[in-house]
Amino acid sequence: MKNLSRYSGAFIVLIVLQLIIFNNIEFSGYVNPYVYVMFILILPFSIPSWFLLLLAFFTGLVIDLFSGTLGVHAFATVMAGFVRPLILTLNITSEVNDPDMSPSLYRNGLRWFLFYTVTVVFVHHLSLFLVEIFTFSNFLHTMVRVLLSTAVTTFFIMLFDFIRQRR
Amino acid sequence: MRSLLNFLLRFKTLILFLILEAVALVLIFSSHNYHQTVAYNAARTVSGFVSKRIDAGTNYFRLRQINEELVAENIMLRGRLEALEAGMQEQFLTVDDSLSGISYSYLNAKVVNNSVNKQKNFITIDRGSRHGVTRGMGVASATGVVGVVVGVSPRYSVVMSLLNADFRLSASIARNDYFGSLAWDGISHRYATLSEIPHHVSITEGDTIVTSGYSAIFPAGLLVGTLTGEQERGGDFLSLKVMLSTDFKRLTNVFLIGSLNREEKQNLEAEVTR
Repeated sequence: MKNLSRYSGAFIVLIVLQLIIFNNIEFSGYVNPYVYVMFILILPFSIPSWFLLLLAFFTGLVIDLFSGTLGVHAFATVMAGFVRPLILTLNITSEVNDPDMSPSLYRNGLRWFLFYTVTVVFVHHLSLFLVEIFTFSNFLHTMVRVLLSTAVTTFFIMLFDFIRQRR
Repeated sequence: MRSLLNFLLRFKTLILFLILEAVALVLIFSSHNYHQTVAYNAARTVSGFVSKRIDAGTNYFRLRQINEELVAENIMLRGRLEALEAGMQEQFLTVDDSLSGISYSYLNAKVVNNSVNKQKNFITIDRGSRHGVTRGMGVASATGVVGVVVGVSPRYSVVMSLLNADFRLSASIARNDYFGSLAWDGISHRYATLSEIPHHVSITEGDTIVTSGYSAIFPAGLLVGTLTGEQERGGDFLSLKVMLSTDFKRLTNVFLIGSLNREEKQNLEAEVTR
């Protein structure tokens, strides 16, 4: 029950931050950080993959409804929710004492958390930008947008995770 | 039967993944008319409400620049008025023009949500069906063409921005009236491409690009931008790079253009070409 309120709190905070602040950030049209993906990253290790997928779809759909891009974010978040368990099995950490805990910078170490964040965020941004324009022409331009945005999103997620642990 | 069940259980995550992605794709592809759905309108009203509050704050810091634009527009209108009055005194023929020639009506609006960083950008404005806005109306600002209304709710309308990969505009070179199709290049919010210009046409850097008026969404001669001089040759046609006169990053005041004769024109054209 405590967990439920904690995660729904994080969900609301991330969605509001995304809609009010991050959707309005843009540097020369190349950097569009989508920090709300952090919600998918911080769900507990023990979450069943089918439930993770449903939550991811729901998260994307909420963002879609508010930014008028029906389906685009849902597609990308489901993709991120699908690769998350694969990356967790690839990138094993010994620090999982309690399967109900959420992956974090503080407990799992900088290197582990950075790799985990970058890969999931990259998959999300790549599918998002590709689906958004729906063409492979100008692929280089899209790739530059994906890489720059991934870097900025990752930076903010690390920052927020740091703040989250300090509380 | 049992093996089928086993199979489904074993791959339940993968199957769920594929189903959800399929749903997302269906949503994307059906979203051409999604603004008509009730759910979308509800969400638009909520997000329009939120955007309006945010906009009220940011607007304050742009007052100076808005003032400057208004002054510039006033001066331009005054000049036009002067020209009209001068014309009327000279000849009566213009009266005839005013009897049958008024084909566009205007309504001012404020931008409450805007983006320039996606491939398909939309703008939300604070006028809706209550104010008589309908789909297909043109939207422009004091500095030039902005977009076309694609969705209407009672209080808000969604405008497909010129900065949208799906947007096409019939535009012509003001100096020699050659017309082509203008579309956004998807890269910078300051530039678009005017294509289908025959390659024998002589062009100069800085030539003005205006609307052709063929679509009856925009009146002819509305400013779009200026040529940068960069051009690309493909087949028999030239593609010219156009610097847009409107800075979409600081769009605040726009006006809607309602065409009074568009239906008649389209009906006639449909009848003849059928």
